[in-house]
Amino acid sequence: MKMAAAAAASAPPRGEPSSDQEDGDNSLQPFFLLHKAASSSDKSDRKPSRRRIPSSPASPNKPGKSDDDDCSGDHSHEHLRMEAFRHAWSDIETTIKGVLQSIDSGTFEAIYSWISESFSIIRTHVSSGFSEIAQSFPAAVDSVSRRLFTGLVLTKNMELFDDLRTFEELGQFLRSRGCHVANLSSMDFVAKNGIGGCVTSLLRQFLATSVDAPDMLTLSSWYNDQGNNDTPIILIIDDLERCCGSVLSDFILLLSEWVMKIPVILIIGVATTPDRLRSIIQSEALQCLCPFKFNLGTLAERMDAVVEAILVKQSPGFFISHKVAVFMRNHFVNHGGTLSSFIRALKIACVQYFSTEPFSFVLRGLIEEDIQGSKHGLLPKAIYNCASNMSPRERNKMDEEAVQKLVPEIAQLKRLHFLWSIVVLCLYEAGKCDELHLLDLLCEALNPEFYASRVPGSFAQETGHTKASSPNDCFTHQHNFTMKKGGFISRAMRKVRDLAEPHLLSLLKRWERHTADISEIHEKVKELQHMLKFENCQHSMENSKIHGLQSKSNLGRVTKRVNDKAASFLAYLIEKHMQPIECVPIHEIVCFKNVKKLQMALVGDSRRRIQVDLLESHKILSCSCCRNDNILLPSMHDTSIMYSSCQEHGDLINLHDWYQSFKRILLCPNSKKRHKLKQSPVSKKRKFVDNSEKLSEAAIQSRFCRGVTELQITGLLRMQSKRRPDFVQRVAFGL
Amino acid sequence: MEADDIGGGGGGGGEEEFGFSRNYFLAKESGGPGKRSACKVSDIDVADEQELVAAMSDIRPKHEKEIAALRDGYRSLYGRWVFELRCGFGMLFYGFGSKKALLEDFASTALTDYSVVVINGYLPSINMKQVVLGLAQVLCDLLKTKRKTPAASVSKIKEPSVSQSLDELILFLNGPWAEEKDFFICIVVHNIDGPGLRDSDTQQCLARIAACSHARIIASIDHVNAPLLWDKKMVDTQYNWYWHHTPTFEPYKYEGMFFPLILAHGNTTQSAKTATIVLQSLTPNAQSVFRVLAEHQMAHPNEEGMPISSLYSTCRERFLVSSQVTLNSHLTEFKDHELVKMRKNPEGEDCLHIPLPTEALEKLLKDIA
Repeated sequence: MKMAAAAAASAPPRGEPSSDQEDGDNSLQPFFLLHKAASSSDKSDRKPSRRRIPSSPASPNKPGKSDDDDCSGDHSHEHLRMEAFRHAWSDIETTIKGVLQSIDSGTFEAIYSWISESFSIIRTHVSSGFSEIAQSFPAAVDSVSRRLFTGLVLTKNMELFDDLRTFEELGQFLRSRGCHVANLSSMDFVAKNGIGGCVTSLLRQFLATSVDAPDMLTLSSWYNDQGNNDTPIILIIDDLERCCGSVLSDFILLLSEWVMKIPVILIIGVATTPDRLRSIIQSEALQCLCPFKFNLGTLAERMDAVVEAILVKQSPGFFISHKVAVFMRNHFVNHGGTLSSFIRALKIACVQYFSTEPFSFVLRGLIEEDIQGSKHGLLPKAIYNCASNMSPRERNKMDEEAVQKLVPEIAQLKRLHFLWSIVVLCLYEAGKCDELHLLDLLCEALNPEFYASRVPGSFAQETGHTKASSPNDCFTHQHNFTMKKGGFISRAMRKVRDLAEPHLLSLLKRWERHTADISEIHEKVKELQHMLKFENCQHSMENSKIHGLQSKSNLGRVTKRVNDKAASFLAYLIEKHMQPIECVPIHEIVCFKNVKKLQMALVGDSRRRIQVDLLESHKILSCSCCRNDNILLPSMHDTSIMYSSCQEHGDLINLHDWYQSFKRILLCPNSKKRHKLKQSPVSKKRKFVDNSEKLSEAAIQSRFCRGVTELQITGLLRMQSKRRPDFVQRVAFGL
Repeated sequence: MEADDIGGGGGGGGEEEFGFSRNYFLAKESGGPGKRSACKVSDIDVADEQELVAAMSDIRPKHEKEIAALRDGYRSLYGRWVFELRCGFGMLFYGFGSKKALLEDFASTALTDYSVVVINGYLPSINMKQVVLGLAQVLCDLLKTKRKTPAASVSKIKEPSVSQSLDELILFLNGPWAEEKDFFICIVVHNIDGPGLRDSDTQQCLARIAACSHARIIASIDHVNAPLLWDKKMVDTQYNWYWHHTPTFEPYKYEGMFFPLILAHGNTTQSAKTATIVLQSLTPNAQSVFRVLAEHQMAHPNEEGMPISSLYSTCRERFLVSSQVTLNSHLTEFKDHELVKMRKNPEGEDCLHIPLPTEALEKLLKDIA
């Protein structure tokens, strides 16, 4: 710590530029304190200084910066934006937590009842051998009483970190039921720390202090001191596959010796199959385990539930466009494959929406409010106040009249979104029977092109009824939209036609639940249900009279008729109500669309970008001197010249040749200049003299060396080996 | 990947991969043994190393105006970056050019409300325990000066000390010490992919720090393969990166200090400088062991080096090491950083030798004193 303290003492005063000397000193220290936080009294003095940050607009030619200067004028709203983001994100987090909890609750209850049973068995052993328990040393001697009850929780997800939250919640759940719980991770079972590591972590969690010499006796005396011996000790190990097998085996053996004195029940998270236990844990330890299997919800189930809760049912204070949804789906499928990565993508979208959209922080309240209960009087004023504080460009976007229009427009937008979500949920319920995922369906349902295809050329202003879609003929409705062949919507609709009678009945029941808030649709669903029940009754009566094959086919035909009606009804709903957010007026101000920005923030693109920086340095620097396609000019950045020239080499670059070509480029003016110089021989001569004077051999060599070092830092070049001292190796081939 | 490719690398993946492999084989083919140039580096009339170093410091920067404009452009984004940081993300900056000045300017201009610790990841060796202890102490100081911290919880705060384990220190950083969401220290890591931080244990440790509720990381990467250092867990739940492409085209002044000049013949200056840096980051005991070795070498310039057994006995006498194991751990560290080399003396004993001339050694000892 000596170093940090010394550095802290020598750190330049806050806000003042450090001198070169000091800077140099700090740069060679492993770490140093740059400055301490301004105390709360200083903060008020400092705030204006933050606004002093030069807000010069980003260079117009800079890639990816064109939309970044949008909010340069609204620093004063930063606080409101942050508040809006935090509110929205905490809502999302709470919803996600609730959804996941409801998926896991069944498993948690099952685990708890198993724990209760196991604990009573342990107690039975204890009461039968009480004299042995009284001893201070491990009492369990026979194999039966040494058994360690172990719950194997199968996560069915290779990326176990996705389930860490589940194991934490399991711990909380069991704690709430009175158990003593400790959560251990694979980090506690590493060979380096041995068995001491996990026992230390265990004791730290139970005793809440660090123990110098970890042993089980401490835990045993702590357990006895609790005075409540009717509760078991639960140890949750969340990641079996990453644990060091020998340490885990030793730990299990140790626990099994103590199980009579310390009633421990193990819960182990398994990502693969229970068989994996055999290959990780030694056979001796394996014999001590008395395993029991539990299943957690699958990743697909979790994803569907989260998407349903966040993106379909509840709008998280903003909406996402079709392209953003498709990107998030593809990111999940191709890159992430975990719920955490999906949530992270959503969070970045949320941050970008609230930090860049001019009206995001004002509109959030409006979006979240009930349609009926919106405070019509207050919001336009707030919006207008905000607009008047904004830059002229932004103010022009929205005049007073437009602001006044906003409230009803947003209410209408919310209503349309609600209807859209009902249709999507009805489709999803139908598609569930076909193992269809909601995220796929969502992407299709958000597609404005699909909506545009339904009544060619007339969708833009449509809010009323079309002739084809009046409520009276919704059961015989022929759809007017083009369905993507093999698309998810067409699959869901086909499924409705093919469903067997009991499934159709349960589907209609689920539809009934989803449509409860919109009486118009709800009535129709009920009508369908009655139709199905009535026809069934009728045919069962007929069936009682006529027996044989004919009756079965008749019954099938009857159900088919209702199936067709249900499918027609679904088509009617799609056509009338499934209006994607991007087809709703004024969606621009509540919808997040910037896929490129989201992608750049989420996954970056460092490998390609660093190379592009070097190959197209003049574009990024937007200088006038280097603009010449395919010709390397001496005015270009040295490393850029070197990297461009090394593209001509194979995988190995001859240092001598590379140096010579670099030197040639630096010394010789380009062809254009040469052409011009031909006309004035005097200046040509001077130019050459200038160049050679300016650039001595040592200067060129030092620039070459620096270029090589910089390419080495970027990892684009591997150094020469002893075997090939005259060559360096290229690493990247193509962007 | 282009903006239009909203597939996130899914759609054009196959074609892109084909492009990669084609380029690779083309490059291999064009550089086949028959076609390789036979020219040698020695054919270049290389200037003296001192001259090269001097010339390097005199290199006239190009595009100063444009680079300054780039910096100004980034400065206008500082507000946005603070917003993202406060939302709980780690900031990751990439793109060509040193980002050291950019990050420090950002930290000292826009992050004045937070304590900022800078880690120089480009150094060859960094002791993570010391770093984490330093961070814990900064947080501890902050908690003490914070007005809103209830007196009861202040009394609970245990002063972080070197006797605590890394886990305990990280737990301390994780809190929770304060209710408010904006209570954190900022950790600027220059070159989180640098040689001193590249190993898996250090990355795990940094990821755990990044996941702490009272810490936020602002880091830069330069290596094209840097993302390979992290697994999904680290990226999605611990570092929680928010990527920023910020090419600066500024020279890698400090980052490149530890790389030998490719055209230089001897590199004693460089290794003496590197040795100083490495030694400074080691524990005082390790430094003293090195001193014993260096003093012996200076006293006996003609010998092959100091036999390990006599080094051990001298160090024991001076209470620098308690066992052979401790000495070995110091020696491994020295060997890893090429501070010492093994040789055999005429009696067949293993001897330790510092591959530096006597003058360089003297200066080195003075520097670490």
